[in-house]
Amino acid sequence: MTTELKIPEYKLAEEESGKWGMVVDTDLCTGCQACVAACAMENNIPYVGEEDAAYGRSMHWIRTERFWEGEYPEVRMTDYQPMLCQQCGHAPCEPVCPAFATVHSQSEKLNLQVYNRCVGTRYCANNCPYQVRSFNWRDYQDPRLRPEITILANQFNPDVTVRRRGVMEKCTFCIQRIHKAQDLAKSEGREVEDGEFTTACAQACPANAITFGRIDHPETLVSQLAHSSRGVHHLEELGTLPRVTYLKGG
Amino acid sequence: MVRRLFEWVMSPMGWIAVVIVALSVFSLAAFGIYRSQQALKPQPIQFPHNLHVGLGVQCLYCHPGAARGPSSGLPTINKCWGCHQQIAKTQTSDKLKPLRDAMASGANFVWVPVAKVPDFVHFNHRPHIAAGLNCENCHGDMSQVEIAENPQVMNMGWCLSCHKERAGGDEEKFIKLTDCGTCHY
Repeated sequence: MTTELKIPEYKLAEEESGKWGMVVDTDLCTGCQACVAACAMENNIPYVGEEDAAYGRSMHWIRTERFWEGEYPEVRMTDYQPMLCQQCGHAPCEPVCPAFATVHSQSEKLNLQVYNRCVGTRYCANNCPYQVRSFNWRDYQDPRLRPEITILANQFNPDVTVRRRGVMEKCTFCIQRIHKAQDLAKSEGREVEDGEFTTACAQACPANAITFGRIDHPETLVSQLAHSSRGVHHLEELGTLPRVTYLKGG
Repeated sequence: MVRRLFEWVMSPMGWIAVVIVALSVFSLAAFGIYRSQQALKPQPIQFPHNLHVGLGVQCLYCHPGAARGPSSGLPTINKCWGCHQQIAKTQTSDKLKPLRDAMASGANFVWVPVAKVPDFVHFNHRPHIAAGLNCENCHGDMSQVEIAENPQVMNMGWCLSCHKERAGGDEEKFIKLTDCGTCHY
């Protein structure tokens, strides 16, 4: 039995508002890396080991970037800058995927990574201006191949897929938490409230530098912060329409 | 020696032999794949679903998670024992010996899950029940089967055919129900 299907109306990326957004206050960030650790715990991100890390195959969905100004010994550190997938409204990673494994979610307005579609061409990582994608060069999570992670395997998050070799992955804005909050709200017959849930990195941040929420609702904390005069979008000139706003120079 | 073998392989009889070997290897592999997809390990006890449903036990009595969370859950033997300790036949029946033994030794049943989805699919029972689906819509009529089995292959086409139908003409619902990120993350 087939029903009449309405094809959703096509919209330019610039006309879309985005749904979930994040604000990172680099003036508050102390570079403690709690977000990096929390993200790895929440999203089953493997540690790759010494040898692969030396090949530059470390896997993180969020990292703390730091920059220098001046020549040694007159070195001045700039702010720490947590860098994660910017969930671009007009994402450079999406059109280059030959398998449609990285697609734009119509309902959540996020960049999805569909692990079971990914064939591991790594085009998306090459085309990502923020360099936030990481590739599974080996079966890092398989206790049969890496006996040393057997104990770590006991703390896998059951809500997140354990990725296998040859699959690209990246920050999902903790979509499992989004779904959980939406499911709870729906079971109670209400909308998801602002601040009801947050991403793992924002939850772990001791300085409250990371704020997460709906950016299409003007009254939420995250959209008010995002529209402050201190807001900066990274590599905005590329037209990627990032959904992460950085606050600096306060 | 190698040369003679090569000449024999190139002769008509040799060709036929090679084809026969290739065909048998292929069919063995196909049979193996078929078997590995079909056969389930035996359950720890030959649990008759039809009998229990016939006695009026609700699905949610043993699988209560289905109404409130992602996983419906499989019962522990304490749940079995809660009813069965009051039934005289429990002490005499041969079929219930595994239950008596497990209860005496403090072991638990390790059920073999029947309705499974791969690791990269995140299925949640709650919204499906809330949407008005009944257990038998996906799991078949359990009053007709003894050992639980899948009435159909649970693949993505099967999920999507129902999702599209359920969306009706509602555009927002259709987008949500066919979005990759709804199940894969």
